[in-house]
Amino acid sequence: MHFRTLLLLALVAVTPQACAPKAKEVRPNHPLPRGLDTSRAEPGRRGGVFIDSTPGEPSTFNPLVSEDATSSGFIGLFLDSLVHNNPVTQEVEPGLASRWQIAPDNKTFTFHLRPGVLWSDGHPFTADDVVFTFQAIYDPRFPNRAAFDLSVDGKKFTIEKIDELTVRLTTPEIYAPFLETVGGVGLLPKHELEPAFRDGSLLKAWNVSLAQKEPRRLLATGAFRLRSYQPAERIVFEANPHYWRADAQGVRLPYVDYLVTKLVKDANASTLAFATGQTDAEGLSPDNVAWIDRYASRYGFSVFNRGPSPNTGFIWFNQNPGRDTSGKPFVAPHKLTWFTDRRFRQAISHGIDREGLVRGVLFGRGQPLWGPETPANKKWYNPNVTQYPYNPARSKELLAQAGFQLGPDRKLRDRLGNVVEFTLNTNQENQLRANMATAFKENMRDLGITVNLSFLDFGTLVGKIQDSYDYEAGMLGLTGGGDPAGGISVFSSKGRLHQWYPNQKTPATPWEARIDQLMSDQLHTLDYPTRKKYFDEVQKIMSDETPYIYLVTANAYVGLKDRWKNIRIPPLGSLIWNLDELWTPLLTP
Amino acid sequence: MTAFILRRLAALLPMLLAVTLLVFALMSLAPGDFLTPVKAQRDINPALIAELQKSFGLDRPWYEQYALWLGNVLHLDFGYSWTYKVPVAQLIAQRAPATILLSLTSLLLAWTLAIPLAVLAAARPGGWIDRLTSAAAYFALAIPEFFLALLAVWMAARTGWFPIGGLTSLDHDFLSPSSKFFDIAYHLILPTLVLGLGGVAGTLRVLRANVLDVLQSEYVTAARAKGLSEKVVLFRHVLRNALNPLLSTIGYAFAGLLSGSLLVENVMNYPGLGRLVYEAFIREDQFVVLGSVVVGCSLLIVGNLISDLALAWSDPRVRYGR
Repeated sequence: MHFRTLLLLALVAVTPQACAPKAKEVRPNHPLPRGLDTSRAEPGRRGGVFIDSTPGEPSTFNPLVSEDATSSGFIGLFLDSLVHNNPVTQEVEPGLASRWQIAPDNKTFTFHLRPGVLWSDGHPFTADDVVFTFQAIYDPRFPNRAAFDLSVDGKKFTIEKIDELTVRLTTPEIYAPFLETVGGVGLLPKHELEPAFRDGSLLKAWNVSLAQKEPRRLLATGAFRLRSYQPAERIVFEANPHYWRADAQGVRLPYVDYLVTKLVKDANASTLAFATGQTDAEGLSPDNVAWIDRYASRYGFSVFNRGPSPNTGFIWFNQNPGRDTSGKPFVAPHKLTWFTDRRFRQAISHGIDREGLVRGVLFGRGQPLWGPETPANKKWYNPNVTQYPYNPARSKELLAQAGFQLGPDRKLRDRLGNVVEFTLNTNQENQLRANMATAFKENMRDLGITVNLSFLDFGTLVGKIQDSYDYEAGMLGLTGGGDPAGGISVFSSKGRLHQWYPNQKTPATPWEARIDQLMSDQLHTLDYPTRKKYFDEVQKIMSDETPYIYLVTANAYVGLKDRWKNIRIPPLGSLIWNLDELWTPLLTP
Repeated sequence: MTAFILRRLAALLPMLLAVTLLVFALMSLAPGDFLTPVKAQRDINPALIAELQKSFGLDRPWYEQYALWLGNVLHLDFGYSWTYKVPVAQLIAQRAPATILLSLTSLLLAWTLAIPLAVLAAARPGGWIDRLTSAAAYFALAIPEFFLALLAVWMAARTGWFPIGGLTSLDHDFLSPSSKFFDIAYHLILPTLVLGLGGVAGTLRVLRANVLDVLQSEYVTAARAKGLSEKVVLFRHVLRNALNPLLSTIGYAFAGLLSGSLLVENVMNYPGLGRLVYEAFIREDQFVVLGSVVVGCSLLIVGNLISDLALAWSDPRVRYGR
């Protein structure tokens, strides 16, 4: 009998399996809202399923709790905000607010909400929801990330309801990235979440358990609403029947009926799912492009080069003059003298063969990087920073000026006769970075400098950089892009990620003081050219003083199935940011 | 009997205490903590990090954290998952069914294949069935489960005969109930084979030795002398007595399957406890790790208890009393 069961199982194995969900449901046809937004994209046809995959799991569907990009990405699909940042133009566009005014004091913003917009349960969306959201964010019972993003020098914004469809937000000081940060705030439904707000359980609301049991209770204003969530398997979103955008022919967006995201274990599994034709879109790392491209015609996809990614990679020296609790200096005093000497850092920078790194490590898919922003950040990138092309002769010259001498044993010594040697720490999880560290070691050997490499677990490395400070040099990367305000913790000398010497009480050097001033000035004006001028100078100083020795930036690649129309690939951020406008003439993949 | 059960369950307490204490100490020794990835992001305010640290109790020494956790456990509160903001018990209950399902199908596979094969092999020691099953069993025992899992995934990807991981298809939500059942069965085939194969081999070797032992008994000779058919002798008289030692290992087998499924689930993308626990370890989501350790230990003890009881039920010579 058991054998018969097995036989049955074997039979099931041969029956063909359908690959894509077949929609059996008819989408409800609610009247369009008065404040409708009409898409300027080419009108398409409804239907189809968009499939993608993501490494890991969402940890929550509550925007007040979310701290990781995966969760925030899913939340952004169903919770809409007052305004949007268009990643292609990098301009702010209307969202749930159709228009807004900025008062002459540059601190008061009046938002006019779209009339007639409904939540996915049919309840009207009004100014009360906006006010409720800000109340929840600022409530000290619910510590959350947005509360810090939405304040200036620890002071909150004030919000008032003018009428059912008008709200006014006031910032205590002029706050440059106001529209961008407000743009990121997903607005919460007051009628659904007020009980949780009252009894203090708001941070536990909209967790993964609820998403699994009652997905429809996660109310949506965005293009999609949650349909089902199977932990470790998939998330299915369906078109929000009350979405407030339509195309030129009056067809309510989104065109696709369902959005299915496979939850896979890691980035490799996600890449593999795309390469074998199982998913529609995938961000690809430069070392994977060549082999994936070979499957392009078989599975009907194309690989696009988005140009330089916003990710930076750099080396820095620990310039922290402090001592640990036992009185031992974090960095040996003679080494601290080298590290704080600008000529030493510039010599190192001239000694790095960045073209070689691009060729050898990134297979030619990248470019040298000279400053804190990559060209991907079109709006803020300063191309006129100081560059340090590969030039060992110039390195030796600078080192000689700083009193270093190359001995007959081909070892570099400082004025006092100390052999120049340091340990470079980086995290072991990132293979490309490990390869770069090895190439760097070779480059330094040519200058007579001995570099010891230490590959650490990411947690250990962060501990060294941020808590114990007992290291000499580090190599890491940061995701740049976006508004300069996001870089304050890096550039400002008080900053936590000012890694060469974090959390300074007063700026250690005049140029750090100058950067502090510029970062503060750019934050307190709304005028883009002025801000750009300030931030350009910050980038210039960073390249002159080279506290971070920037290395290379890899190009970003995306793969996308050819069946999708209305694709517009932005240089930064999510590939499918305009998912509501995508459509396909081929309903099955 | 009740006293015996109670005594065994009471023994669970000191063990759980020791194991959780060890896990807690080891986790506090490991570099970094749950907030490390947050600290490495450039636009997170230090005040928020301090607040989170305080709300998670990460600003206190580990023994204090442990004492707090223990106090809550006494009220049957296993804590919240920091990642998911969901009670640990609820999270484990969410993921456990898939793992238990896989363990049960694997156990079923092991027994349904191993029992007839072992009896047939022992009936003619040195015969071709015996030699073939022995060779296959040694081969199966020698392959680590994770490697077998990798092979299975590779095979599935190359041939397309089986799904590459998961428990359900993309269109599972849209299927009829019977199709849903077959969909799950189809997805279970490979993980069951991978996890069950080692079990088949192990059970086969143990049972074959037992059957050979029992075949020497006088009552077997008596049964044959009575003129019973060989089939009846083997399956009714020999097998019954040979199964006893196997019953006593079922608890270990079950616990072993659970720990084996941790590897297999991660390789095969199977949505069970294994992936949850692995991710919790990587993220240092303390209470989820502790909760799963408690569940694992309890299962081991309870599994052993059940096999002892089963033994008492099937073998009249075994009696537990004072």
